[in-house]
Amino acid sequence: MLKHLFILIWNKRKQNFLFLSELLVSFLVIFAVFSFLVYYFQNYKKPLGFEYEKVWSIHFTNSVKIKNMDSLSMYYDNLRKTLKSLPQIEKVSFSGANIPYSNNNSTTGLTNNGKKYNRINNYRVENEYKDLWKMKLVEGRWYNEQDITSTYIPMVINESLKEEMFGKGPATGKLIGSLEDKIKWKVIGVTADMKANGDFYPAGPAIYAKVDTSAYRWMRNALIKVSPGADAAFESRLYKLLSGTLKNSNIEITHLTDMRKSKNEATIIPMIIFMIIAGFLMINVALGLFGVLWYNINKRRSEIGLRRAIGAGGKSVSYQLVYESLILATMSLTAGCFFAIQFPLLNVFDIPASVYLTAILLAMIFIYMLVFLCSLYPGKQAAAIHPAIALHEE
Amino acid sequence: MIRLQNIEKVYRTDTVETLAVKGVNLDIAKGEFLSIMGPSGCGKSTLLNIMGLLDDPSKGSITINNQDTKNLSDQQLAKFRNQHIGFIFQSYHLINDLQVLDNVALPLLYRSSTEKERRILAAVALEKVGLSNRLKHFPTQLSGGQRQRVAIARAIVGSPQIILADEPTGNLDSAMGNEIMEILINLNKHRDTTIVMVTHDENMAQKTHRLIRLFDGSQVL
Repeated sequence: MLKHLFILIWNKRKQNFLFLSELLVSFLVIFAVFSFLVYYFQNYKKPLGFEYEKVWSIHFTNSVKIKNMDSLSMYYDNLRKTLKSLPQIEKVSFSGANIPYSNNNSTTGLTNNGKKYNRINNYRVENEYKDLWKMKLVEGRWYNEQDITSTYIPMVINESLKEEMFGKGPATGKLIGSLEDKIKWKVIGVTADMKANGDFYPAGPAIYAKVDTSAYRWMRNALIKVSPGADAAFESRLYKLLSGTLKNSNIEITHLTDMRKSKNEATIIPMIIFMIIAGFLMINVALGLFGVLWYNINKRRSEIGLRRAIGAGGKSVSYQLVYESLILATMSLTAGCFFAIQFPLLNVFDIPASVYLTAILLAMIFIYMLVFLCSLYPGKQAAAIHPAIALHEE
Repeated sequence: MIRLQNIEKVYRTDTVETLAVKGVNLDIAKGEFLSIMGPSGCGKSTLLNIMGLLDDPSKGSITINNQDTKNLSDQQLAKFRNQHIGFIFQSYHLINDLQVLDNVALPLLYRSSTEKERRILAAVALEKVGLSNRLKHFPTQLSGGQRQRVAIARAIVGSPQIILADEPTGNLDSAMGNEIMEILINLNKHRDTTIVMVTHDENMAQKTHRLIRLFDGSQVL
């Protein structure tokens, strides 16, 4: 029977062209929606890798005119001491602009055994950075005071970079080079991935390079971890204190909880809009499919009447209509899969192949379900066609 | 072979009640070739549909091959039609999107048979109606007479004991009509197939074993 239906559909391929096109476009749209959803969900499931609650970011414009690096370093040390003198402040770490949940990023290139790795997140950190975020070490150690005397420049990397460079094996003790391989660093530790771009994005490969005195020239953020008792009144006092200390600077205090919310919203809101648009499209497609199938039944009353006369029961006619729709869907999905499979094959947008493959599978299930549901009622209508009447109409 | 007892068919709408067939009693023997004549709207096709189990009578009973068909379910009726009855229609009712061979094999799809068996049986049936050179054609590529021969091949492919033909020569010229009639007579003679044919053509009716006439739904001869 399936072969018979396939022959029938194939012989009517010109009439079915619009139906097939509609299903193909729907599949591609649903594939796009599911690709986003699967990608976001896979990332959402991964642990955050750090604690952002009670972390505040103090952004300041650096109006310091000190040109001597050691003097600048001392200036920042004094600022740190001032901040730490407040009992509500538990940790302090100066940072560049690429703090978690900000819209800034800083990337660099690395080399390992002659192979180049690009777009590695580059975080410039201080000793307290790890404890401030409560980052977890999966291997080795974090920076300490003895690093100054070591032969190699130490470097802490994250788990993603470790897997990219060294696979499942240990990374501690290995040497990695700058993009041109002129500078060498020795990996002393590996941290768990830290999803710094929001809950729905991956951490990506990253290095946590310890700041040297020259880096303070670019430091515009002080990250502070405050105690649970730190309230708005304390924030106000802190602001006044900093205004007095950092004269002629613009100071902005932001809570990481707010930054995270805003970063996540920047992902969720467009996705919701996209889903609503896709939802409306699917409603239109469903109504279109329903209409086309119903119209086809009315056009094929004579054929249905004939089939009933020569031995098809009502159920058999109903199943035939549903099977035909599913065969048409299969033809569209075959074409759709050909386009969709290019995404993992060509590694489009650098997204893992599992995301695309899962999205293809989900989109196929969705389209089959849609077609199945849309063909149920027309199939039932077809089964109700009275053969004597249908054959008399011709 | 076919026994109709006190058959009545009433079509009802909200306002009108039409008695299409009134108290028809008919016994058709195995191997008989019967024709039904009467003016348009006298209930010939309705009676044929009732005989072919395509329509329920409002009253009366139909026995085919000693089986009372009254209590058969939709599925059982479909199976019964498939195994015992072949249909030929005035307007052929071929599926234009299927090749001739596939059109003929259609009734076998609803039986347990392999594709190879279906194709062989369909080819044999087409050979019997002289269309073995048209297997791969589509119905739209055939003349009216050829299309009706395809319809006959489809009716006989499952070797039914009964063929019900509703004005099989109605759309054909007299030469083509005679050809079709010859095929039906041969089927009746050589395969002992019981044939009931509705026709407006007196000459065709005269070639059958028995003729009955209907008028206003009642059997008058």
